[in-house]
Amino acid sequence: MTSVVRAGHLAPYFKASAPVVSNGLKLVAAVPTPVDKLVASPLPITSTVQSLHGALPVQGLKPKCSTRAPFQVRFAHSDIAVPDFSAYRRKETQDPRTKAEENVDQRQSFTYLIAGVGSMAGAYAAKSVVTQFVSSMSAAADVLALAKIEINLAEIPEGKSVTFKWRGKPLFIRHRTADEIATEKAVPIETLRDPQSDEQRTQDPKWLVIIGVCTHLGCVPVANAGDFGGYYCPCHGSHYDASGRIRKGPAPLNLEVPPHVFNEGLLIVG
Amino acid sequence: MSLWATLNRTVFKRTSTFALAVASGTFFFERTFDVASQAIFEHINKGKLWKDIKHKYE
Repeated sequence: MTSVVRAGHLAPYFKASAPVVSNGLKLVAAVPTPVDKLVASPLPITSTVQSLHGALPVQGLKPKCSTRAPFQVRFAHSDIAVPDFSAYRRKETQDPRTKAEENVDQRQSFTYLIAGVGSMAGAYAAKSVVTQFVSSMSAAADVLALAKIEINLAEIPEGKSVTFKWRGKPLFIRHRTADEIATEKAVPIETLRDPQSDEQRTQDPKWLVIIGVCTHLGCVPVANAGDFGGYYCPCHGSHYDASGRIRKGPAPLNLEVPPHVFNEGLLIVG
Repeated sequence: MSLWATLNRTVFKRTSTFALAVASGTFFFERTFDVASQAIFEHINKGKLWKDIKHKYE
């Protein structure tokens, strides 16, 4: 018993009832003090758990010693009315005896509507964010406009290779003769190191548009030189033909063809 | 009341129709939102926009 008595906040009650256990003669019980001494707030209009708790007669509890004292403490288990939850109830369920399926539409649809509209707004926001980030990866319109070069093809005589600067790199435009076209078309593709047909490399067979950077170590090849009548890289001796394809020497790939379009006598590269 | 009932029974009850309604509703929401926000912007900045001063320079 003594060990139980020491158990924390219950100690006063155990102390008060200890004589009952020890001699069995004195009757001791905890009784609520008379109502006029109780400090309890009157029953509130809206009956909630919190407000009703204030009205319970537990605050003024005092142990009392008497032979005639009643044995039991009667807490209000049965004489308190069922709390009124009407303040919390939806309009449709004010009468708690109605069936759930009769008012399920009114109860659920507004909640679902809010959820649906919220999802719509969320989807729109997500789409906007993704679009903004993806479009930030593409170049701006002014940058794209500067990255293009227009070349008047009438100024380039037949059989001549002209060099321009395009995006910091030399750009070779070659106006090919009929002989050169025939030669390049006749080359068997299987014999090439980087097999590409002449049709794959040119849009108009008369015009060859290539970037003048050797695919070996990046020197600028010399036009109309080398064993194959095209380009020759003086650094390590790579020979390119009149279609810009590697034919001899250390370079592994053909000269690069940039994206280009022909437009009424104008060549637009980029 | 019957509007809520129809809406709940046909659209909200099933996740598939709910998701479909959200996805298709987003298109209309986007259009409405964009037009409305654009209109608000132009109302606030009336007189400062290029379309308001264009006639002075052309």
